[in-house]
Amino acid sequence: MVKYLTRRLASAILLLFLLTIVVYLIFGILPVDPARISCGIHCNPIAVAGNRHRLGLDVPLYEQWWRFFVGIFAGRTYGDGAARFTCGAPSLGYSFPNNECVTTAIAHAFPFTLSLAVGAFILWMASGIGLGVIAARYRGSFIDRGVTAFVLVGSSLPVFVVGLLVYILAFFLHAIDPISQGIWVSPLSDPIGFFKNFIFAWIALALSYSAIYTRLTRGNVIETSSEDFIRTARAKGLSERRILFKHNLRTALAPLLTNAGLDFGGLLGGAIITETIFQLPGLGEISLKAVLQDYDLPLIVGTTVVAGAFIIIFNLIVDIGYAYLDPRVRVG
Amino acid sequence: MAFKNLFSRQKRVVASVAIMALATSGLIAISSSADAASKTGGTLYFITQSKQLNRLDPARIYTGQDIAFMNTYVYRSLLSYTPTTGDAGFNLVPDLATDIGKATDGGKTWSWTLKSGIKWQDGSVVTCADEKYGLSRVFATDVITDGPSYLLQDLNIPSDAKGNLMYQGPYKKTGQEYFDKAVTCSGMTITLHLNKAVGDFNYFGTYPAMSPVKQSADNGAKYDSAPWALGPYKVADYKIGTELKLVRNPQYQQSTDTIRTAYPDQIIMRFGISEDIRDQIFLKDSQTNAVDYDQNLQPANKVAFFANKATASRGINVVGPYTGYYALNVSAGHLDCLAARKALFFALNDDALIKLAGGTQFYGTIGDNPISPLVSTDYAPTTGNIHDANFKLTGNPSYAKTLLAQAKTQCPATYSKITTANKGVVWDISNTTTNQKAATLIKTALNAAGIQVTFKFIESGVYYPTVQDATKEDDVASGGWAADWANASTVIPPLFLQHGGFDLNLNWNDPTYKPFAAQVAAAQGETSRTKQAGEWKVLAQFVMDQYWTIAPVFQKEQNFWGSKVGGAAFWMPQGCLLFPSLYVIQ
Amino acid sequence: MSTQTAEVSRLAILQRSPRQIAWHRLKRNKVSMISAYIAIFFLILAFGAPIFTAIFHVNNTNVYPNALSASGMPIGPWGGVSWKHPFGLEPGVGRDLFGLLVYGSRISFSVAIITSISFVVVGLFLGISAGLIGGVLDNVIGRICDFLLAFPTIFMFVALSVPLTLRVEATGIAHNNGARIVVMVLILVVFSWPGFFRVVRSQVLSIREKEFILAARVAGASNIRIIFKEILPNLWPLAIIYLSISLPGYLAAEAVFSFLGVGVQAPGSTWGLVLNDASNFWQRDPAYLGIPAGMVIIVVLTLNLFGDGLRDALDSKSDR
Repeated sequence: MVKYLTRRLASAILLLFLLTIVVYLIFGILPVDPARISCGIHCNPIAVAGNRHRLGLDVPLYEQWWRFFVGIFAGRTYGDGAARFTCGAPSLGYSFPNNECVTTAIAHAFPFTLSLAVGAFILWMASGIGLGVIAARYRGSFIDRGVTAFVLVGSSLPVFVVGLLVYILAFFLHAIDPISQGIWVSPLSDPIGFFKNFIFAWIALALSYSAIYTRLTRGNVIETSSEDFIRTARAKGLSERRILFKHNLRTALAPLLTNAGLDFGGLLGGAIITETIFQLPGLGEISLKAVLQDYDLPLIVGTTVVAGAFIIIFNLIVDIGYAYLDPRVRVG
Repeated sequence: MAFKNLFSRQKRVVASVAIMALATSGLIAISSSADAASKTGGTLYFITQSKQLNRLDPARIYTGQDIAFMNTYVYRSLLSYTPTTGDAGFNLVPDLATDIGKATDGGKTWSWTLKSGIKWQDGSVVTCADEKYGLSRVFATDVITDGPSYLLQDLNIPSDAKGNLMYQGPYKKTGQEYFDKAVTCSGMTITLHLNKAVGDFNYFGTYPAMSPVKQSADNGAKYDSAPWALGPYKVADYKIGTELKLVRNPQYQQSTDTIRTAYPDQIIMRFGISEDIRDQIFLKDSQTNAVDYDQNLQPANKVAFFANKATASRGINVVGPYTGYYALNVSAGHLDCLAARKALFFALNDDALIKLAGGTQFYGTIGDNPISPLVSTDYAPTTGNIHDANFKLTGNPSYAKTLLAQAKTQCPATYSKITTANKGVVWDISNTTTNQKAATLIKTALNAAGIQVTFKFIESGVYYPTVQDATKEDDVASGGWAADWANASTVIPPLFLQHGGFDLNLNWNDPTYKPFAAQVAAAQGETSRTKQAGEWKVLAQFVMDQYWTIAPVFQKEQNFWGSKVGGAAFWMPQGCLLFPSLYVIQ
Repeated sequence: MSTQTAEVSRLAILQRSPRQIAWHRLKRNKVSMISAYIAIFFLILAFGAPIFTAIFHVNNTNVYPNALSASGMPIGPWGGVSWKHPFGLEPGVGRDLFGLLVYGSRISFSVAIITSISFVVVGLFLGISAGLIGGVLDNVIGRICDFLLAFPTIFMFVALSVPLTLRVEATGIAHNNGARIVVMVLILVVFSWPGFFRVVRSQVLSIREKEFILAARVAGASNIRIIFKEILPNLWPLAIIYLSISLPGYLAAEAVFSFLGVGVQAPGSTWGLVLNDASNFWQRDPAYLGIPAGMVIIVVLTLNLFGDGLRDALDSKSDR
């Protein structure tokens, strides 16, 4: 087990390392000049040169990357003299149009993304598993047909169309308070405000996931119910309820957790569409704005690396969890 | 200036009447205490769809409404426009200074004396050194970008052989001695030595670039996110994309101030409010203490707003100071041929474009001059362009084809460029919802005349930086400009001179440029205002005849507010609401 | 179904080739077949856009300023729906919505079809190579796969769209919206082959050990022959399933990217672009949002239902 863990951890770290290189290189060779862009209206060659120096773009690409990489662990100082400023570790760069360290911008955005992801996750897991189990239990009944219809429609509606429709619904219900929309409300100090801020976004985001997880649950429960140990349990005279909850579900839901972990990890990097429609300034929204409004390269690099890191980390968690549950993996 | 922010239509300035006003301190009486009690308190909201204010740093801020906003609430500059509606608003009043400025040496030397005892937000007293330091920052052009360039152009500081100024700001300190000579402090009096006579230089005293900065508080580029306050409020929190929160500045003394009323306890600007929600707020009055900082609603909502008596009382619709226009790049390989430029102008469907943006009722009327009629001394109708017999508001494709045929013989290279598919006229356009539609209308109109067009959509935030780069600008760029004060010297030189700051025509290699530039220089140096006005009129005619600028639109503007906002009125010189008088009805 | 008829039909099935069985199963699935007809209808509409729009004397570029009011909104109820303009008009500009949507769906369908086919071809090629040759090659492709899967696709798309478009334009392959479409397809393909590759590879690994491959090898068949004669035929069902399931996804992806403002841009027209614009008008012109949204939902839904049916038909293990 220890050996497996070490190997898996090492490969995740290597992947993270490569991620920073590749993201940085891709963006570095693109024909966009942040020094020019952040220079403003009355730009002149001196100002561009000054910006280039301050942004650290006047050194070769590999050195730019190295500074970026070191900055993640040691923080980073830009410019010199009175124009000098520092972004503390972990520094992911400095966003010029926003005049703030990328890490700070991400730290402001992350609570939105996290809340959105967690809320939607709870919603879709609860509804998906619930509906899936009910449909499997009453297989073939009209309930099952209804659930199947929900699955088909829910999983094929494009997220942004659903998002728009839910948003419009919320608007009609006067559920969106224009002034507080997009302002962070802590769930600890004002749970109701927090809930109001997010509930419609949760619904919009959870809908298609819910359909997919209902389908998975239903399939898995049906599949396991024909396995030998369930038949044995039934032969022992256990109640259907007990069989379902004690034996069937446990087996049926284990593979679901893999999917759930990966999906959740993906969302932590930002749900661009939902965040944009509901104007939640999370990671996805700020990176889209960075692209559409001022091509704020450092912020784009930062959010992309963070989103990638979440995917890698949750892959790791899922793999380790799986190894813990299923000893065969460890040796494989 | 006042170039136009492409996002929200922020605007600025223009003085239609006054040239030089006498100092009238204590012009507005501070309201009686009983009156003040009913107005004091509460939170005043400003709503905008932009994700941030362009700049907060006083030396870098240059979008009209932002200047009025920050000058009213956070900083204080040497002078201010009178906080009142109507033409009286154009009169200058001293703010940090004790008078509106003394000119000597025929306008080549200007001096102001600062009021004593005014405190920074940390309680320290404002000194003349702070004022001088504030001015010096403008020269650090590698850090302090975006601001107005009048100090760079006018202060008497020598340039090196390459044309770069020998003083490079307080961070590098190169050439500090030149600056120390050009700007001197004696007690509380600051004196500026200019390189030429500028008769109305004191109008620049209303700009935040002329306000003090305390050296120990200056952290370079970072100063932009939290400038120190002199005014009644200080920055408590500034989160880009979310909000700017201003709270009372305890060190502010109302007794030193004749301009601000400072009624609200707190001022919050909310960023990133979508157009839909913003429009909803003002149509339904769902946030009663809010002001529309975008000065805009979507066209159809504007119509609805002003058509309904109940809502119309919470808004104003006035002729604004801005002229919107298309600047044609006349450098070689672009639209370097008069016939081609004319063809482009006559092909455009101005009617549809104006309609798209709100029609004549809310967007504006087609104009004939880069100078707004509000600069009444220098504006006169031009001939040609929209007064040409062949001009049609909805576009005249057949006449455009005739012009195109002329272009074919006169300049075959340009002709073939603009009529070849996948090339054609390359149009730089900022990427907004309305502009995406405008692109469709432009393409339809030009294609009808046989002109091909491709659009380069540029993200709004980098639009001006991109088109201002001579190597990046394509054939057409759009701009919006308002005079900084009532003199076309703040219009013609910045828009059409190579180093003017906002020349989108790249016209300096054009054969007509040299005599033009010489004439502009002569007009700038002209001491008789009447003669000068005559020269501006001639120059404006020349610019229009060369079709450097086409289809100017004299724009209208609107403001909207909620039912609990009191004191809302239009502040003419600033082109926005009269911020100093706004309060929340208690 | 009683046991007896089940037996009969099983017997009937036994006498057919796998392809016939699949076709038979598909035909029996009414929902899938109806969906297929609807989807095909939209496909024909898309690729016959010039013909169908000509029926109404409209297209996707003409503007009809007279059909708009002074404030730029379409005159008449339902966003200006009339015999002349069956779906109404685009507010502000006055193009015909039917023309916009029909021409727009050409772009959406093209992106989806080209992307789906490309990633299936890439996945097949790499999957077969990795599975058959194995060793270092397998390892390297596997690593690249892991790596690509760690990238947040939509982030990469959003971030890369603008500069990559400039790059593509610089090469001169395509311009403007052409370049944007090339970029869209490119990024989607790059980030979507790994999933399919993994499935192909594991299939190839299991097929490789089957008797008929061994027999072919013993008979002296070349690698190329084995691939084309023995392996590929066994992978077709898989490829078709993936193709049909991913198609609606890419159709929606195109719409999403244009909706977010990083895909096709005006004066071009796609579903995403129209929806993006319509989202600003839903209060004043709900039909302008409703019609394209409905169209996207119908097409994506029917394609999905058809894909499901196809999978059930081709995959003998599936259980409905």
